[in-house]
Amino acid sequence: MELDLSTQKLATHENLLEIRNLRKWFPVQKTFLDQLLAGKVNYVRAVDGVNLDIRRGEAFGLAGESGSGKTTIGRLAIGLAKPTEGDVVFDGINLNKINEEELRRMRRRMQVIFQDPMASLNPRMTLGDSVSHGLKIHYPQRDDEHREMTLAIFEKVGLTPARYFLNKYPHQISGGQRQRVAIARALITRPELILADEPIAMADVSVRALLLDLMVQLKNEFNLTYLFITHDLATAKYICDRIGVLYLGKMVEMGSLKDMYQHPLHPYTQALLAAVPVPNPLLKRTQPMPAGEIPNPINPPPGCRFHPRCPFAKEICTKDEPELLEIRTGHWVACHFANTFLC
Amino acid sequence: MPEVKEVLISIRNMTVSYETRLGAVSAVDGVSFDIFRGEILGLVGESGCGKSTLGKGLMRLMPSQGSVHGEIFFGDQDILKFTDDQMRDFRGRRISMIFQDPMTSLNPVQRIDEHLIEAIQVHEPQTNKMKALDRVKKLIERMGIQSNRLSSYPHQLSGGMRQRVMISLGLVLNASLIVADEATTSLDVIVEAKLVDEIKKIRNDFGVSILMITHNIALVANIADRLAVMYAGRMAEIGPIEQLFANPLHPYTQGLLACVPSIEIKDNENLYKMPGEPPNLTHPPSGCRFHPRCPYVMPVCKELDPKLVEGVPDQFVNCWLYQEQPVVNNPESR
Amino acid sequence: MKEIPQHPEIQLPKGDSVPQWQLDLDKAGWLRRALLARKWYGGDWWFVVISAIILLFFIVIGALPKWFAPYDPRAEVGPSLLAPGEPPAAFVFLTRSDSPVKEFKEVASSENNVGFVVASPASQALREALDELNAEEERQNTGIRYQPRPRRFDTIEEGLKALEDGEIDAFIEASATAKSIIGKYKTLKIADTLREAAIRGFTLGTNQIGQDIFSRLIWGTRIALMVGLSSALLSIMFGVPLGLVSAFSGGWLDRTLTLIMDALYSFPGLILAIAIAAVLGPSIMNIIISISVLYIPTYFRIVRGQVLSIREELYVDAARSLGAKKITILWKYIFPNVIPSIVIIFSVNVADAILTEAGLSFIGLGLPPDVPDWGIDLARGQDYVRRAWWLITFPGLMVTMVTLAFSMLGESLSEIMNPRLAEL
Repeated sequence: MELDLSTQKLATHENLLEIRNLRKWFPVQKTFLDQLLAGKVNYVRAVDGVNLDIRRGEAFGLAGESGSGKTTIGRLAIGLAKPTEGDVVFDGINLNKINEEELRRMRRRMQVIFQDPMASLNPRMTLGDSVSHGLKIHYPQRDDEHREMTLAIFEKVGLTPARYFLNKYPHQISGGQRQRVAIARALITRPELILADEPIAMADVSVRALLLDLMVQLKNEFNLTYLFITHDLATAKYICDRIGVLYLGKMVEMGSLKDMYQHPLHPYTQALLAAVPVPNPLLKRTQPMPAGEIPNPINPPPGCRFHPRCPFAKEICTKDEPELLEIRTGHWVACHFANTFLC
Repeated sequence: MPEVKEVLISIRNMTVSYETRLGAVSAVDGVSFDIFRGEILGLVGESGCGKSTLGKGLMRLMPSQGSVHGEIFFGDQDILKFTDDQMRDFRGRRISMIFQDPMTSLNPVQRIDEHLIEAIQVHEPQTNKMKALDRVKKLIERMGIQSNRLSSYPHQLSGGMRQRVMISLGLVLNASLIVADEATTSLDVIVEAKLVDEIKKIRNDFGVSILMITHNIALVANIADRLAVMYAGRMAEIGPIEQLFANPLHPYTQGLLACVPSIEIKDNENLYKMPGEPPNLTHPPSGCRFHPRCPYVMPVCKELDPKLVEGVPDQFVNCWLYQEQPVVNNPESR
Repeated sequence: MKEIPQHPEIQLPKGDSVPQWQLDLDKAGWLRRALLARKWYGGDWWFVVISAIILLFFIVIGALPKWFAPYDPRAEVGPSLLAPGEPPAAFVFLTRSDSPVKEFKEVASSENNVGFVVASPASQALREALDELNAEEERQNTGIRYQPRPRRFDTIEEGLKALEDGEIDAFIEASATAKSIIGKYKTLKIADTLREAAIRGFTLGTNQIGQDIFSRLIWGTRIALMVGLSSALLSIMFGVPLGLVSAFSGGWLDRTLTLIMDALYSFPGLILAIAIAAVLGPSIMNIIISISVLYIPTYFRIVRGQVLSIREELYVDAARSLGAKKITILWKYIFPNVIPSIVIIFSVNVADAILTEAGLSFIGLGLPPDVPDWGIDLARGQDYVRRAWWLITFPGLMVTMVTLAFSMLGESLSEIMNPRLAEL
């Protein structure tokens, strides 16, 4: 039984999501006395000027380590947080310019799958209620169909027998099943955009492939667009069409799967890919890792933010911040010496 | 990989059981294996397989409602028969442990040098403070931390450095075995790669054995000499790493290796989708605990437990495919 | 790596089938679950059961006092200060052997002197006998009044000596004592019984007015539970919504309310209750109000703290991302997770309310003095600790037991209400 969701046909933009000059700075809490004496407030520059477009129907992977800002960008992209500067445009609608009620209505079209399924499900709501809550909010007048739709979506994500799961609580099922419930909850309102924030990081290794497969199948079946946030470049490869790599709040490289994995042009991307362990004892890593660790996002290094750790850094890197330029078609890099890596 | 295979620790039939609200759970069920001197042994498994419990059981760091049975021989002494005093002397000096979260395993109100000097003074009380400080300085510099960081507090160091301090706590007393329980799981991938390199270097420099407990099989592929795979509290397979990767015998190992993603781009590459989930140990499956998920399941697998036997030379596997199967009466009775 | 075949019984990519033991467990009825709970919760299960039984016992007593209480708690049904179970003793009066007196009323006129040991039950027996005689005379409207002059002696020997010497006309003493001592006094005789012995005593004795302590305890339960539960419920009705609203809206409303509540909270409980009770005056309703004010800040603080922490949880974010309205989030996501803490505080609250009420009555600012109440009993009994220990022991025990039962319930509930522990 399907609800008529022809409202979806109103959307006409090719880019489902557009992000322009996005910045999110968090003020560092200081005591009153400090503020008085020091004068200025320090900010954690979680996201510091990011541009990206996501086409309808593609899976865009946002990769980075801790402090890169990937989770913050995700939350800004679906309006769970307000940017300090910059615009988020969803299907032609600027999220900054609509009021709260309109934003709430738009939530039907963009849903989230969080990292920790146990924490993202209300421990006091049955699974059936948790999943159908989206329907209650956005289609309240069709409440006789809600139960059927919930059962149908349970079947679709592989939770069978569906009736069994309707009245269960999150702590009564296993971890993999919980993540399926989270996926079901995200899909039931037939959204267009899904923000997947490290959805399989907490699942068991043997279960991850199943979940990834499920997400790919659902994407094809429902024509979904994914913004897939991850720290694990190996799993990103199985679901994403394009990847963007973030470092300390800025995008350093962005391109298609093939370009990024086979011809990475930014030294940080190269290091990230080299650092991922390969399950083959005969292949030992030869590339040295960049020195040091990720610096404090309150005071990022001047010029190119990666320069203190970059093995190829030259003087210009300490002064000029490189722009994200399209070095080849569809392949953007922010590095003064990206050309030297082109083979 | 040192050629001389001298056994450092010999674990025989180790069983660790807990009393939980849902009944008795044997988190580790009759596991036997050896750790050789100077080797890096990777212990891999998913949630509930018992690998962390085994690591803690080795150090007898069990909570009050858990109990350890079996025998753990260090040299010719059975650790499980040690008195509390003997065990306290043993921990830190012979076996040392690194935990997952370095922030909570270091005392936040103690400086780094105080941590290390205290470790020395507890176990070797006759060492005077200057000598201890000297030893500590030398060790820290070998770990790649500048000695002026010794007077910092744990929260002033980064995650990778804290883990290296934890490793130093093990090395400062010349422990023979370091148990690294998911030591790199909470670190970023680049820091993790560097730490893993560090661990290998430490083994080469100091000759210390390392038991790397992790859920990430690719991680141990790069540094371990041997690999042990656990499933649902039992040892599924154990053997030299290159041999095991090239020819995994246990269906679980095969499945596990086939479902690990890799960053190489190949056409038509599909991950193996293992059905089911790791079992809940309060109600483990009968017989071989992997049988609900095994593509080669046979009637005997549902009834009886296999034993760990040598499938091919040097590689031990716990599966009915490689053992004489006893005749099962009424296979249809289930 | 070679291709791995599929498991013969499981088809991909349908995810996990539900294991048979879980499906079977669902068929178990509630009784089996309750019995299984003993295994799950271990020691806490016993705690809940014991405290629930004790509380049920108290609630039944409180709800149906007439069934349990043998006497009216206000009626003076027996001699005062009777020990538990002791039947009221027989009393006799002694005269000189040669006296012609046959009935007590002959020596009970205002010209007679009647002696007894000071502060002994004999004085009360005398008084009761006189009351009885006087009541009889009033009924017959004769206008006669019996009021002999009482003479008090330190010991029975002195009194009997005075009787021998003619200073007094009669001496009152317990029958048993008199019989044992009469042999030594040749010139005296036991004239007549003053009061018959009763067959049955009072279960827990009587207090100084002669009220049955057992009945007072039963009726006191009713008052205690009424006051305890009502004030707790009143506190919840005010404290919880204020806490919810304050935490959820934040800003100046939150700051103002927190300030007010902190000010209230900083008062020592009993003193605040005394102040309010003194202003409002003694009545059951006023006591309930003054005690409930005491606990409103506690509910406010706990609820507010819980809401603030639950607001940061991931499932609240998930609800926001679904598009839920703020009020829906508060009602369906935050409030149900706050309920466990409320229940726990409720139990402790009732216990504390009962104690506070007893304390107020003890001081005299509590219930009106004719209401049977443990606090009043405790207050009145303090002077009699050595002579009549039963006056304060039993009310004290009741207060302790009820408080204990509620506290035990609260503690064990805190373990059990955690949904993660309800794993099957």
